[in-house]
Amino acid sequence: MWEHRCKVAVSGVGFSRVTRSAEVPLAAHALEAVKGAVADSGLAMSDIDGLATYPELPATGHAVVDGVTIVSVNCMMAMLKLPNLSWHVQVETVNIGGAVQQAVNALLAGVCRYAVVWRAMHNPKGTYQNLPGTYAHGASQFTAPYGFGGPGQGMAVAYTRWLERHGQRREKMATLAVTQRRHSHKNPHAYFCGQPLTREDYLNSRMVAYPFCLYDCDIPVQGAVAIVLTAADRGRDLRPRPAYIAGYGQRLAFEVAGRIGSLSSYMEGGKSSSRLTWERSGFAPKDVDVAQIYDGFSASVIYGLESYGFCKEGEALDFIQDGRIELDGELPLNTFGGSLSTGRIHGLWHIIEGALQASGRAGERQVKDVHVSFVGASAPIVQGTTFIFVDEPY
Amino acid sequence: MTRPIPVPNEWTRPFWDAARRGVLQLQRCQACKHFQHPPYATCVRCMATDLAFEPVSGKGAIYAYTIMYHSGDKRFAAAIPYASIIVELDDAPGALLAANLLEAPYTEAKVGRRVEVVFQPLNDEFTLPQFRLARDGR
Ligand SMILES: [Zn+2]
Repeated sequence: MWEHRCKVAVSGVGFSRVTRSAEVPLAAHALEAVKGAVADSGLAMSDIDGLATYPELPATGHAVVDGVTIVSVNCMMAMLKLPNLSWHVQVETVNIGGAVQQAVNALLAGVCRYAVVWRAMHNPKGTYQNLPGTYAHGASQFTAPYGFGGPGQGMAVAYTRWLERHGQRREKMATLAVTQRRHSHKNPHAYFCGQPLTREDYLNSRMVAYPFCLYDCDIPVQGAVAIVLTAADRGRDLRPRPAYIAGYGQRLAFEVAGRIGSLSSYMEGGKSSSRLTWERSGFAPKDVDVAQIYDGFSASVIYGLESYGFCKEGEALDFIQDGRIELDGELPLNTFGGSLSTGRIHGLWHIIEGALQASGRAGERQVKDVHVSFVGASAPIVQGTTFIFVDEPY
Repeated sequence: MTRPIPVPNEWTRPFWDAARRGVLQLQRCQACKHFQHPPYATCVRCMATDLAFEPVSGKGAIYAYTIMYHSGDKRFAAAIPYASIIVELDDAPGALLAANLLEAPYTEAKVGRRVEVVFQPLNDEFTLPQFRLARDGR
């Protein structure tokens, strides 16, 4: 087991307003979320001395404008003018989970005491994923001429392979979409909170990229979420109950850029990341009381459930049936509604929910007796990070 | 349909030059004989840097596919729905090629179906390797 398990805790979380399109610059959303997380911790802004983010705009073919379409560390520093700032980082790989892990490392190294991590997501006007214009450069020269645009198609092709190799049916995915939407009605921050979704809605919805219909894809939104991380001994003195980080991992393999559709690459990413998390924490899938698994596209949950070891390969669509992922089920899953219900804010919201469930702060959607809370914070293929939060150090 | 035009670089130019001549060539490690696609600076199996392009038969199977219904890019709107497929070649296991399924309705795209390469000129300079269902079914 990891000697540093449970030495860092999540001590506060914050949310901005989530809107369909950009009504105010993205920096305003990020600031709202960060202020919320600091206030939730019972801290003053002047206590914050560490900053971390993953600022990438996942929409392709749009201008990157700091403060408008992304919110970088520099942008946040300019807004907050922190008098005691002593550490910051902006990561390029493994998405926002990588920024959280860097903040954990900085706290363990003692170079900061209260680190804020945020994820701000912009929804550009027009088509979210643009194919390149007239010319396809770099890795896209082998994909764009054939009509492959964004990551959705890359995941869709792997999903057909999974479905047909395992003799499965996409209609079973309705259970995930409907259950998560029901969870989100107990999450007032979620974009789709209060908007019902039925099995019939799912089955009758329009196809986007077969096997993905509309409700297999998270809706692009404008919004931000944030957390405060602190050393566990400090966390005990703060206002809310802390959620302790028992272990983490990140994917340890990478495909050559432009190689798409490989189902095994999703599985290898998830296996390598979760192996580290299980080893460091000392837990196994059977010990998990509640799980958040990234669901920007629904199939990501399948690859997660299987590669993290919650069920065997080919069985995930059966695993999610029969009430197993309900709040009182055997493995309550994406209890905040997932990205499919909150809108596309990426995996920091999964991390937030994992922490809230571990610390008993999930309100109406709180799962009973949570001790071990698992998070797979991004699609396992290229960005996979995994975490375990616990209610008490051990 | 006006497709995006590939822009070759030093690693990829031989692939496109061969396609224009109606030949499917993939990058092969001269040390361990591993085929890889897309082309890369080094052999991703053995780290050798002695890489060359060699012809392959162009026979393979559909590894995976998606049917595109989304017309976000107006250039492809007229073709919707169309099958974007990933092909694994018999000669080059693990080297996955993106393509479209030509000369067949999109409903014919299924994992494991046998396919063979055909060449679709894009303009005077570029020809796309594409795939159709194998004529002899093998
Ligand atoms: Zn080699």
